[in-house]
Amino acid sequence: MADPLHAPAPAAGARVPLLDVQGLTKRFGGLVAAKDITFQIRAGEILGLIGPNGSGKSTVMQVIMGLHRPNAGAVRVVGVDVAGWPPHRIARQGVGIVFQHSRPLHRQTVLENIMLGLLPDKLLKLVANRHVREKARQIAERVGLGAVLNRKPSTLAFADLRRMELAKAIARDPQVVLVDEPFAGLTSGEVHAFAQLIADFRADGRAVLLVDHNVKSIASLADRVFAMYLGERIAEGTAEEVTRDRTVRRVYLGGGIDIVSRPTRPARNAPLLQVEDVSVLYGKAQALERVSIHVDQGECVAVVGLNGAGKTTLFNAISGLVPYSGRIGWDNSDLRGRSPAAIARGGVVQCPETRELFGEMSVRENLDLAGQHLTEAQAAEQLEWLYDLFPRLRDRERQTARTMSGGEQQMLAIARSLMMRPKLLILDEPTLGLAPVILEQISNALEQLRNTTSITVLLGEQNVTFALPHADRIYVMEHARIVWEGEPSAFAAEVAATYL
Amino acid sequence: MTDTIRALLTSRSVWIALVVLTVLSTLPWVASAYILGVLTIAYYFGVFAMSWDLLFGFANEVNFGPTFLIGSGAYAAGLLNAHGVPMWVCLIAGGAAALLGGVVLAVPALRLTGPYFGLTTLVAVLLLQQFIIIFASSTGGEIGLTMNDILSTEAITNYWYALGFMTVCGAVLFTLSRSPVGLILQASGQDRIGASALGFNVVKHKLAAFCISAVFSGLAGAMMVFYLGTASVGTVVDVSVGAQVIIAAVLGGRRTIVGAAIGSIFLILAGEALRPLGQLSTFVVSGVALLVILFFVDGLMGLLLRRREEP
Amino acid sequence: MLTVQILIDGFAISALYGLGAVGFTLMFGVCGVLNLAHGATMVVAAVTAWVVAGQYAANPWVAAVAGTAAGVLTAFATYFLVVRPIQRSSSVPAAEREIFVLTGTLLWGVMIQEAVAYFYTDNPKTVRPLIAGVMQIGGVRTPINELVIAVICWAVIGLLWLLVNRSKAGKVLLAASINPRALSILGFELSRVYLLVWTIYGVLAGIAGVLLATFLGASSAQSSQLTASAFSIVVLGGLGSVYGSLLAAYAVGYLETLTAYLISPTYRTVPALVLLVLVVYVRPHGLLGRR
Repeated sequence: MADPLHAPAPAAGARVPLLDVQGLTKRFGGLVAAKDITFQIRAGEILGLIGPNGSGKSTVMQVIMGLHRPNAGAVRVVGVDVAGWPPHRIARQGVGIVFQHSRPLHRQTVLENIMLGLLPDKLLKLVANRHVREKARQIAERVGLGAVLNRKPSTLAFADLRRMELAKAIARDPQVVLVDEPFAGLTSGEVHAFAQLIADFRADGRAVLLVDHNVKSIASLADRVFAMYLGERIAEGTAEEVTRDRTVRRVYLGGGIDIVSRPTRPARNAPLLQVEDVSVLYGKAQALERVSIHVDQGECVAVVGLNGAGKTTLFNAISGLVPYSGRIGWDNSDLRGRSPAAIARGGVVQCPETRELFGEMSVRENLDLAGQHLTEAQAAEQLEWLYDLFPRLRDRERQTARTMSGGEQQMLAIARSLMMRPKLLILDEPTLGLAPVILEQISNALEQLRNTTSITVLLGEQNVTFALPHADRIYVMEHARIVWEGEPSAFAAEVAATYL
Repeated sequence: MTDTIRALLTSRSVWIALVVLTVLSTLPWVASAYILGVLTIAYYFGVFAMSWDLLFGFANEVNFGPTFLIGSGAYAAGLLNAHGVPMWVCLIAGGAAALLGGVVLAVPALRLTGPYFGLTTLVAVLLLQQFIIIFASSTGGEIGLTMNDILSTEAITNYWYALGFMTVCGAVLFTLSRSPVGLILQASGQDRIGASALGFNVVKHKLAAFCISAVFSGLAGAMMVFYLGTASVGTVVDVSVGAQVIIAAVLGGRRTIVGAAIGSIFLILAGEALRPLGQLSTFVVSGVALLVILFFVDGLMGLLLRRREEP
Repeated sequence: MLTVQILIDGFAISALYGLGAVGFTLMFGVCGVLNLAHGATMVVAAVTAWVVAGQYAANPWVAAVAGTAAGVLTAFATYFLVVRPIQRSSSVPAAEREIFVLTGTLLWGVMIQEAVAYFYTDNPKTVRPLIAGVMQIGGVRTPINELVIAVICWAVIGLLWLLVNRSKAGKVLLAASINPRALSILGFELSRVYLLVWTIYGVLAGIAGVLLATFLGASSAQSSQLTASAFSIVVLGGLGSVYGSLLAAYAVGYLETLTAYLISPTYRTVPALVLLVLVVYVRPHGLLGRR
């Protein structure tokens, strides 16, 4: 086993790829999560695998790891086809994984957590080999954990927990390393240190696969980038080539950014929603960092950003679903302390990214439930209005929600939220995974909504092209922070180029 | 080797255990035969609880029917003995029968999660109980089975047998829990995918945990019926006995092994001490246990070690 | 002759099993709680009915209502004193919450059982049948009480069905069993939903306990057996599935009756247990269970 500290630099362009994925295909029922994916990573090379939610990149990684068996294709690790092997065998074959979310053993020290990675898979190991502890110490020092060896994970800073994941992954000196979202939750200073550690893996002669949402974060590290969308490869090349690729830009931005002139809104009304200095911690990860936004009566405000930027966390804080620090003011009162149900009844209704439909109930039942807070007459009136807004729902009134297409489910989710006659409608990623035809229908419905009612909308979107025509103002989020604020016209000029 | 020894010597749990054992060893000279008898039962219970804690605390599998394993071992030993098989062989057979039971339980366990597995373990106890009652002609049914041999007629001898047995089992289980195997078990229990990603065959390790828990439970069950001289549903199979095992382990402190033994001793002594209350003694003990679950989640060991479980 | 007897007896006992199991499975389906104090709750209802009928010489119907009320009170006590504190406790790690609730309800059940035995002994308590007398059905002399039990059980189950499927509150319950988080963001307070479920549960378990007292008698020593029966049936039918529980209740009820009459009363429980083992191994989520 090569000593990780003193490995000689590999000969450039070593011939046999350490990770060779050929024609990998994975289906879940009728859904093709990954289709005919082929790439190789050689020793001393870093490949970035990028794609938005639902692109299939996570599936590809999970198949390589052994969590799923592919329907077709081969996965060769140092020449041996491991497709279909159980995860522990693949790990012993030479694959190390750094998971997106840290998973330490809470009752063990840092050193013990790393030692675990060095133990053989034997049932009768009552006594560890002499060298295990020393080796674990060396690995810990390498990743920068030398000072905290005897502490328990709950006392560690977020970045140190991530370091521990790196240490565990390379403990057995794997030739292939998979890293899921390497920099999520890290400050910019920490990102630099981590990038150096990952670059060191490359210097060791390992093959590294970085999986992430966007190119920007891994551009400086990756030698090559492989972009996926809806299970298929859409581009491959250097980071720069992929960023400029037209298909990639369309997928992330939703197309060319044209600004449609907006009907002028009256002079600024009083702010309805006031988010001040709100921060959210998920365990140790900073999911939201001192975010401040405001939404005025009658406005449509768009919050754009890629997956993981923090849009959903912001909305969940507003809806009372996660604890936060800071202040959220609504209609002259503080939302703190109210239950999520009370906040919804108070007029702030969220249509979540995951839709949260009652799958086993029919369209009508879903809508009726939402309308229970209204009188019979009000509910009937609202229902009719919604059926006019979304005619498809009227046709499918009795259909079970679960059996509808994605677009129809999204319409139902939006309609259901509207049944509550909200003052503020929060729409989280309504266009995720939908075909352009449906997108247009939803866009039209949104337009109609704004023209015929005085509803205020807070829209969270990755798809900028969808959001721009509707927005009066835009906030751009990145890494849990607001990085830009302004009008749509200014967006095209200032931000669009660097958005990806 | 020095690592493990160092770990054992610096462990506060070990010192607590040594202190308690020393005190318990002096009792034959000062305590009455009655107290010794109560403690003898408590020590066998301690092994029941420690075996349960290994499975729960380490492999993260909640066995709501530990008496399936205990009862299998006890009745296997008892039935063989009733046909004249020597005691030693019966004890080994008891352990083997329980081992088989452990494997039988493990198979659905490894496929089920959450409440389904818990219910399966309870169902197993039910089945065993019904089985014994239905075939009462061979098993003695609800009245019980009388053993041909017993360990000893002397209270003090029985006491030493029980204490020695508990100490040996406890030492083995505790060492296991602090060894690399224990570490792997904890990883397998806490985070199945993470453990697999580190190269461990989780299924193999969990199966091993079931088997170890089963063997010790069954052996202790067999020892206990040879002490009591009878094997009956009410003492080794009933769901309420299983409940007491769980209570003892939780009361003593989950995931400490030592705590399970201490919890058992406390529970059984408390039960006896409250005997004057008559029927209410069980009520009070259960009440106390419930309060512990609500307010002192880490049990007696948690109080002694003043340690909070990591979230 | 025998056939008719088996049909009738089996129907009555299955109906009773069904009522008990439906409450248990509803509690799991909507609240995610496996209430191991179920048998004890039924016993409290039974004993209360016995006390009211005996000590206050009330007629059986009044005793029945009193017993049911006791069932509801016990259910509330279980929720507020045991289940809710554990669910809200910050010192219990989230992953272990279920286990703690199970252990907590187990202990609570033992406490109730012992308290009842202390005050009223563990001798079986019976209550006079709600309607006394016998009648001839298909040539078989049947106690009218058996029919009354079957009718009441099915009436209650029918009412429950109406509640869940035809009333607004029922739709909310159904939704809670599918997706509680969604209910929250639609403006429904989950705490109120849970309170409703515990009330319904108390009524179901209470009636089941009272009817049991009029039919076979109930004793505190039976508490664990009653809980065990209920969850065996529920596991067989599929945790969380009301239809599954009813189906399983009838399967078990008839298997038991058939065995008792055709083979021997001693082996009554065997076929049902064999069925249970098969289900656990082959189809662990039960006949109609949701994955």
